[in-house]
Amino acid sequence: MFQLVVRHRNLAAQLGLVVALTLAAVASLIFGTVAVPLDSLMDALAGQGNAIHRFVIHELRLPRVIAGALAGAAFALAGCLMQTVARNRLATPGIIGIDNAATAFAVASVVGTGISVAPPAMALLGAAVATALAFGLAGANGTRGYRFIIAGLGIGAIAGAITQVMLSRVAIDSANAAFPWTVGSLNARSTTAVITLAFGLVIGWVTALLLGRSLNTLQFSDPVAINLGTRLTRVRALSLACAVLLTGLAVAVAGPVGMVALLAPELARTLCRAGKVPLTASALAGAVFMVTADMAGRLVLAPLELPVGLITAIVGAPYLIWILVKPTSRSLT
Amino acid sequence: MNHSANTAENLFTPPPLAARDLSMTHGRRPVISALNLELPPGKVTAIVGPNGCGKSTLLNGLARVHAPASGAVLLDGKNIHSLPSREVARQLALLPQDNSAPEGLTVADLIRFGRQPHQGFLRRWTEQDQAILEQAILSADLAGLADRPLDTLSGGQRQRAWIAMSIAQQTPLLLLDEPTSALDLGHQIEVFELIRDLARQGKTVAMVVHDLVSASRYADHLIAMVDGQIIAQGAPSEILEPALIHQLYGVHCEIYRDPADGTPVLVNLRKCL
Repeated sequence: MFQLVVRHRNLAAQLGLVVALTLAAVASLIFGTVAVPLDSLMDALAGQGNAIHRFVIHELRLPRVIAGALAGAAFALAGCLMQTVARNRLATPGIIGIDNAATAFAVASVVGTGISVAPPAMALLGAAVATALAFGLAGANGTRGYRFIIAGLGIGAIAGAITQVMLSRVAIDSANAAFPWTVGSLNARSTTAVITLAFGLVIGWVTALLLGRSLNTLQFSDPVAINLGTRLTRVRALSLACAVLLTGLAVAVAGPVGMVALLAPELARTLCRAGKVPLTASALAGAVFMVTADMAGRLVLAPLELPVGLITAIVGAPYLIWILVKPTSRSLT
Repeated sequence: MNHSANTAENLFTPPPLAARDLSMTHGRRPVISALNLELPPGKVTAIVGPNGCGKSTLLNGLARVHAPASGAVLLDGKNIHSLPSREVARQLALLPQDNSAPEGLTVADLIRFGRQPHQGFLRRWTEQDQAILEQAILSADLAGLADRPLDTLSGGQRQRAWIAMSIAQQTPLLLLDEPTSALDLGHQIEVFELIRDLARQGKTVAMVVHDLVSASRYADHLIAMVDGQIIAQGAPSEILEPALIHQLYGVHCEIYRDPADGTPVLVNLRKCL
């Protein structure tokens, strides 16, 4: 039995994460200001039973769980792709400034700066612009080395500042409408944005799986990857494009919850065996993480609700520090 | 070309690998200019020269890791950069100097990567791949270490594991960049003898080597480079003269023959004044 688990460790990890995701989702549906017991939950899901329970499940909690799972998976997959391409565990969309730029663009359309493009499209555009800038500023090294990350840090800081300026210049009502965007919350999701994200996640996930073998070779140095027949430029470009798509659409749903992209692939890597980039496991871990964090945000100070971005930051920051101080042979560069 | 699992002696008919008027640069700095070269098929070629003479750059150029500034590398008469990368990976294996691996990767995991150029998206791991993997483990004398993480091995074992990956790649051409640079004498000889074994099976091997004596002991063909140019090439016992060594390293010496096998041995080395 143990041998079997070892041999199929990646599959076991993925199944374990699916179970964890199911548990987290069920818990999220049950707990809240109105507790819905498990049997009532089943009734409500089947469209029967108590009208209040039906409303709470169908209108409030279920869409929120779905949005959280999709956004978490998208952030985590984007993070895993970028970490692999940049060969750096810090190279996640949140740190590279893609989240912030996507947010700035989305806020620009929400607060009424005269731009009337839908927030998801704006977020996507922002993500693409930030990535292109970071890539351009990193120079000939592309995604390799620290230049990419430092360029990204700068872009993120500028984008964050622009968001703040926009919020301080508009009427308080507009600023309130845009506020959920800035902290990362599943409270403000729009159905269109969630559906768009679902499609984007499928596209991103399938593309990532198709690139899987090439991505595995990126764990070695460039010459080794080339030697194994990997077309570096093509794999890097496609992976980055996927990461941009996933990040942009996820920001449009949940705002900048960048920590998920940092933590989930790390967890997936711990669970899976070495040598393969844990794409699916990262996505699943991201979904678990996001759904759990959102539930925690709703429950910890209930009836007051903490945005999910705050919870992930509270959990994520110590973890980030731990990565930095942990003695490890795995290189950060 | 379809090489079966248990490759007997001389099964490979290596495609010729050649450089035509090859020029390569590091940034803007020219490293190699208008170099012509053809690797003798089925032989071990050692590329020697002082630091910075461009020997590693040449090897990386031959393995299509860096694109030439002008000229071309020809694999079987075709420009190597115009061929699909995976097809080249079935013909030519490179063992670069920087061979770091992900933490926790085992010897078998690493060698398994060598089969990647032979697998398509739908073509998964087959019994033949497994047989080749096991054969590679045996050839590189790694039985018993297959499930050990690379980071727990000695330098010599690790280098053998990387060579085993190239063996599993089943390419008729093998290029190695300083395969013994970090190894002690015993491990150096182990690795060089493994390389000789591979040439005996018909592979064309080219390696950058720092130690001139090892180069002439284990290579059939020596290429001496200075400033991005080949200044001499041929059988080691024929071209290795005090004058050449002076030209390469600015060092005076005398050359003796190893009584056992006639390999040139450098003695009485001293710096030129």
